[in-house]
Amino acid sequence: NCCGVYDSMQVWEHDGPAQLHFVGEDLEGAINEGRLVNLQQLLNDSTSNKSTGRKNRPWLGAVIEDAPFVSAVWDELRKDDRIDLLDKIQVKSIKAPNHSDMGKIEPPPPVDITCVRKGVNDEGEEFTISSNLLVAADGANSFIRRTVGTFPMITRSYGRMAVTCTVELDTSKSRMGMARTAFQRFLPYGPIALLPVWNSVDSSSDREKESGPIYANVVWSTLPSEAKYLLSLSSEEFIAALNEYLCQGPNVNPSLLPDSNQPGGPPAIPLLSTIVREIDSLLRTANTALTMGTWTEAPTRNFFRMPPRSKKVVGPIMGFDLTMSHVATNGGYTSPRVALVGDAAHTMHPMAGQGLNLGMGDIHALASLIKEAVDSGMDVGGTNLFLDRYNEERILKGWGILGGVQFLHEAFECTGSIPGSITEHENATSVGSVGGLKGLIGYSRSLGMNAVNGIAPVRKALAEVAAGASPRLFP
Amino acid sequence: MLFNATTKVATRKLILPWKNWKHALSSSATTIPSKISTNTNTNTNTNTSTSTSTNSNPSEVDKFSSFAGHWWDSRANPLIGMNPTRIHFIQQVLTATCHKTSDAPSPLYDKRVLDIGCGGGLLTESMSRLGASSVVGVDASSRVVEAARRHSFHPFSGLRSADDEAAETSEKGTIRYIGGTTVEELSRRWASRRQRGRRRRGQSEISSSCDGGLERDCDHDAEDEDDHCELFDVVTALEIIEHVPDPESLLRSAVSLLKPDGMLFVSTINRTWKSYGLAIVAAEYVSGRVPVGTHDWNRFWSPAEVRRMICDVEHGTSNGSGNNIGNDNGNGSEIMNECQEKEYVMKQVGLSGMVIQPPFFNLKWSLDPLDTDVNWIGAYQKQQLQS
Repeated sequence: NCCGVYDSMQVWEHDGPAQLHFVGEDLEGAINEGRLVNLQQLLNDSTSNKSTGRKNRPWLGAVIEDAPFVSAVWDELRKDDRIDLLDKIQVKSIKAPNHSDMGKIEPPPPVDITCVRKGVNDEGEEFTISSNLLVAADGANSFIRRTVGTFPMITRSYGRMAVTCTVELDTSKSRMGMARTAFQRFLPYGPIALLPVWNSVDSSSDREKESGPIYANVVWSTLPSEAKYLLSLSSEEFIAALNEYLCQGPNVNPSLLPDSNQPGGPPAIPLLSTIVREIDSLLRTANTALTMGTWTEAPTRNFFRMPPRSKKVVGPIMGFDLTMSHVATNGGYTSPRVALVGDAAHTMHPMAGQGLNLGMGDIHALASLIKEAVDSGMDVGGTNLFLDRYNEERILKGWGILGGVQFLHEAFECTGSIPGSITEHENATSVGSVGGLKGLIGYSRSLGMNAVNGIAPVRKALAEVAAGASPRLFP
Repeated sequence: MLFNATTKVATRKLILPWKNWKHALSSSATTIPSKISTNTNTNTNTNTSTSTSTNSNPSEVDKFSSFAGHWWDSRANPLIGMNPTRIHFIQQVLTATCHKTSDAPSPLYDKRVLDIGCGGGLLTESMSRLGASSVVGVDASSRVVEAARRHSFHPFSGLRSADDEAAETSEKGTIRYIGGTTVEELSRRWASRRQRGRRRRGQSEISSSCDGGLERDCDHDAEDEDDHCELFDVVTALEIIEHVPDPESLLRSAVSLLKPDGMLFVSTINRTWKSYGLAIVAAEYVSGRVPVGTHDWNRFWSPAEVRRMICDVEHGTSNGSGNNIGNDNGNGSEIMNECQEKEYVMKQVGLSGMVIQPPFFNLKWSLDPLDTDVNWIGAYQKQQLQS
C-alpha cells in the first residue's frame, strides 16, 4: 500500500477570508449514478474496520508513489502470456506512415520501430518491430513524438518552478484530521500544497493510530528565483519556511484603497474615494459574512483546519520547471498509426492535480477503441476511424482542463503582481496595502470561492470534473 | 463536401414520398407495395424464364464502382464507421443462438460466411479476422471487388486468399471475392455444380446421405480445389436490398445458400418520414456525408416487410436452387424430389436498430433494439420444421 488516500481537501487564499473545502461525500452523487468508479469499494479499504469515525469516510483522491505503482503494473503485465515485455531496449528509429498513405485502397504500412537490445558491451543487435499502432506514453519529452515529427506542440512556460519533497509531520499536538486531508494554500506566486502519503496501511498494524510517523508530500510552486533560494536552504531552514508559509489561516481581503498609514498621499477626488470606501466596506462585510456563514453550516465540514506543522525533511528536495504544453493541431493527438497519451500529449501546472487524471482518461479512451477494433476484426490503425474518434473524445477535454488550470492560475493571481513575495517579506508592508483593480479581483475571487464552497451542486460538479467522472447527460 | 461528386447521378430528381405515404406513416407496413414507382432501369432480358434476368441496376452499380477508390477512406465512407456496430450485432445473435460447437474463441469461428454486396470488403475482412474458415464476397460491380482484392490480399493486411497455394496448409481462414455477378447467378451455378457432383456419385449414396449431406456432396473437380460451392453457415446481405430491383429474389437466393440452422443477416434502412429526413435529406443534401443519389427512399424496406419476404414466402427445400426446381434437366429434378421430405422455415431471431449517438457529427453508431426507424439490422435463421 503505497498511496496516500485523502478524503478531504482544503484550499484557501493568503489574502482573503474564503476557503474551499472538498470532501469525499461530494463525489458520492457521481458514484451512485455510475459515472465514477468507487475506488474505495474496489480496493476494499482495509482500514475501514477501525472504530474511529474518520476512517470510514469516502475517498476524494489519492497520491500515488510512482515507482511502486509502475512496478506493480509491470507485475500484472508479466502475468499475461500474450504481452511481450521488452526492457533494456533503446529505440533507434521509428518509421510511421504518412497522412497520404491513409484512405487509399492499399492499406497503410505498419509502423516499424528499430531497436537495439542493450547488451553487455552496450552494443546489441538491431531488430525491428512492426506494429499496427504505436502508443506514445513516454512523458513530456516524448522521444516518439519528436522522432515521428508530425506533432506540432504549443508550449508555454508558466515561469514557475515547483519545489517538492517529503516531510514528516509533527504529531505532538494531535493526530486527528491530519492523516487524510490535503491542504493547499495559494500564495502570491503559486500554491503550496501538503499532500498525505503512505497512509493506507494494512489493518495488521492495529495501533497505527497511536504510533508511527505521518508523512506528507510538499509541492511548492513559485518563481524560479525563490525556488532556487528554497533549494539552497538547509533542511531546518526549509522546514521553518514551509511552516511559516503554509500554516497561516485565511486573511482579510486587501482594501480597495491604500491604508491610511501607508505612504500614499490623500486621494485626489474625495467623492470618488468615499464611494470606493463604501464599496470596499460592503464587499469586505459580504465576504466575511459569507465565510462565517459557511462555517456554521456543517461543522464537520466547513471550519478551517490549520494544516499540521512539519518536523523534518525526509529524502531529497527537488525542483522542476513548470510548463504548459498541448498539441497544436485539431487532430493532434494522433498521426497515422501513432497515438499520444498522457504527458506526451499535454502537460500543465500541478496545482489541480489534473495531469495524471487526464492521462488516465486518455488511456481509457484509447484502450476502449482498441478493444472495439479487435472485437470487430478491424485493423485499428488501418483506417482513420479509431484514431479520429480518439481525437474527438480527448482533445476537447485536454484543452478544457488546460484552460481551467490556467483560469485558476490567473484567478488566484499567481501571475503575481501583488507585493509580498517571500524574499521581500521582511521589507514588505502589511498585506492589506493593495488597491484598485487588484483589490477588486481579490474581492471577487473571495466571493467566488465562497459561492462555490457554499453552493453544494457547484462544488460537487467541480469535484466531479477533477475526479474525471463522466458528465451527467440530463442534469 | 467530403466526397467529390464524380458520379453520373449528379443532378438527382428529388423523389417525393407522396405516392407511398400510407407506408410511410406506419413503419410496420402490412402490405408490400405492389409497385415500386420510381425510374427503375431494370435490365430485363425478356426471356421467358425469369431466372435469367440479372437482379442488378447498372446505374447503381456504376455509382458504387466510381466510389471504389474511396471505399477504405474512413473520412469519406460512412460504412466503415458502421462496421463495428454491425459486427457486434452479428456476434451477439450468433452467441445467443449457441452456434459454438466447441469452446471457440468467437461465434464466427470455423464458419463459412457469404457476404452479398461485399463492396470493398469491409465486412468480409472483419469476418475473416474473427475466425471464419472461409468467407466469400459477392458483388455486382467488378471494379469494387477488384479494389477489395487489392486491399485484402495486400501483404500488410495479413489475410489469405482462397486461391493461395499455401491456403490448404494454413489454419487461417480464406477469403474469396466474386465480382460482376449477382447472388442469383451464383446460387444457380453452384446448384448445378452440386447436381453434377451428385450425379457423378450415383443415386444410392444420395438417398442415404440426404439429411444434411448435401453440403458435403460437392464437386471435387480438378478446377475447383476447395469446396467452394458448399452451403454457408452465415449469409449477410447488409445495405444491399435497397439497391437491387428485386430484393425478393436476392433474399430467396440467399436463403437457398444457407445450411440448416444457418443465419441470414439483412440490414437496410426503414421507409419512414424520419428516415427520409435523416438518411436522404440530412445525410445526402445537408451534410454531404453520403453522395447525392445513393439511396432511393422508395426502395427502403421496413423490418416487417423484409420479414414477410423472407419468412412467409414458400422456400421449398434446401436443395440449393432457389428459383426454380426444374430448370436444368430432368435427371436433376428426380434426385431433388427425393430430398423434399425435410421442410425448412425462416424465423426472425433478432432485430435491432442502429442509431447515431450524440454528438451527431462524428457518426458514432450504436445498437438500439427499440429504434428501427432509420437504419436497422435483422437476423433470420433457417430452422427445421418439426415434422
